[in-house]
Amino acid sequence: MDDRLKETLSAMMDDEADELSVRRLLSHAHQDEVRSQWQRWQQVRDLMHQGNLADDRVDVSAGVRDALDGGPQQAPGSVASHRAGRERSWHWPAVAMVTLALVVGFGAGAGWDSVEDSTTIANAGVPADQSESRNSASEGEPVREVALQGLDDEQWEQVSRYLLEHAQHNSVGAGRGSVGYARLVSASGPGY
Amino acid sequence: MRKIVTRTPARSLIPGRPMLALLSVLAFFLAGQAFSDTASKDAEYWLDRLGPALNMTSYRGVFVYARGNQVSSMQIAHRYQNGVVEERLVPQDGANGEIVRKGMRVICVLPDHGRIQLDQVIPSGPFAEAFSSQLMPVSRWYKSEVAGDDRIAGYEVVKLALNAKDELRYSHQLWLEKSTGLLVKSNVSSSDGEVLEHFQFTSLEITDSLSDSEFVIRTEGTEIERELATKKTSSPAPRMDGWTLEWRPDGFIPAAAPRSGKGQAVAFSDGLAAFSVFVEPAREMVMPTGASRIGATTVYMKQLEVDDVDFFVTVVGEIPPTTARKVAEAVRVDDRLAFGAIGQ
Repeated sequence: MDDRLKETLSAMMDDEADELSVRRLLSHAHQDEVRSQWQRWQQVRDLMHQGNLADDRVDVSAGVRDALDGGPQQAPGSVASHRAGRERSWHWPAVAMVTLALVVGFGAGAGWDSVEDSTTIANAGVPADQSESRNSASEGEPVREVALQGLDDEQWEQVSRYLLEHAQHNSVGAGRGSVGYARLVSASGPGY
Repeated sequence: MRKIVTRTPARSLIPGRPMLALLSVLAFFLAGQAFSDTASKDAEYWLDRLGPALNMTSYRGVFVYARGNQVSSMQIAHRYQNGVVEERLVPQDGANGEIVRKGMRVICVLPDHGRIQLDQVIPSGPFAEAFSSQLMPVSRWYKSEVAGDDRIAGYEVVKLALNAKDELRYSHQLWLEKSTGLLVKSNVSSSDGEVLEHFQFTSLEITDSLSDSEFVIRTEGTEIERELATKKTSSPAPRMDGWTLEWRPDGFIPAAAPRSGKGQAVAFSDGLAAFSVFVEPAREMVMPTGASRIGATTVYMKQLEVDDVDFFVTVVGEIPPTTARKVAEAVRVDDRLAFGAIGQ
């Protein structure tokens, strides 16, 4: 993704992007790249704004396209409500956002950064007396989060196979019955 | 009203009255003591019933399952007859499909969901002993108590709270139907009380009158059939060929060794929660390092280099991200030749 597109994204967050550049962004060949960049920035913004993160698995591009093509009232249901949230949040100043990005330590372009309530995860650290592991260096650090939607097809297939296999241990093997099956089917669903 | 006010002091003048009051207070205390005793006994009593009830109760119903932003519902019929479990599950959302199980024979009719073929994932055995048949000292890792009564899907239930005693695991709440012990609702929550995963029957009928026709496959599609081997592996502990875990959270013991992929997978359980560890040669792929969470389920991915050969280490389970990371970081590949796929 080139700098011009990143600028557009940044301008969108500031609610200052013109329609032409937004259209160009939406027709960018690597939509997932655009999406993950957008989501990273959104997460930073959410983190500053509300202290926690909104769900990051929502692809707003369809909603934005709708808004460009037709009008804001089109997409009903959850997408609309998510979009409303996003739109409101576009007014967040980009300067502040970038400042936080530096403070938190993940600059734009860093690979798999991002965090879902990193503070909680950090605080949930293992008690010191139980740390027999020699990896004590990473102990206090927040666990780095990987956005599943950022995985390519091959990676996703690998991960979903693990999810399913684990779910399978839980259902038949674990005698957990329906809960295990639910995890299994949920894991095999097209969601995420 | 005034009558009572004037009479009360008069009554307290009756000799022996203070003694009576003292006695009743004492009785109250004793009763309370006795009550809390039965309550703690009850939690264990209910936990003992949980496992058998899941298999040996016959019922039909619909349950919902929510984790993260996903909600799915399934229709289920479950019968226990002549020592054989029969089950039919039909997902109510998304594409058509079903899972039918008779004893250890499982048939899945699930259309291709796009990217996943289920036949890759149904383990062809051998399964080590099921978790449920192991007597796990759940109370060592969870503070268990009866947390009241409720009514779910028309049935009287008892609520069990199992609060994790450390930060290595999540807390669980279980609702069991009173006459059978059947699990009708469960929550998994983090240490700060956030519910991460939710399972609940929305309609339920516990009945022994389930006909054979309720366990017949009705969906058209590719049928995938697997026999789940029940025989135990020669050693009670599953094999971890070529790798070891140098640390694992207290209470989690190896539980099953399913073999389906080319890699090495081992499952661990503390009686309530479970996680699986996968170690595989990486081949041409690159995986990011870090954790993803879907409800209570954490996936921690990591790449490990041993003598110029890359391995994927993946931990999947209903455990907090910090625990999953510690487990992943405790994997040591000590014999890379044990991985057959190397060099291909």
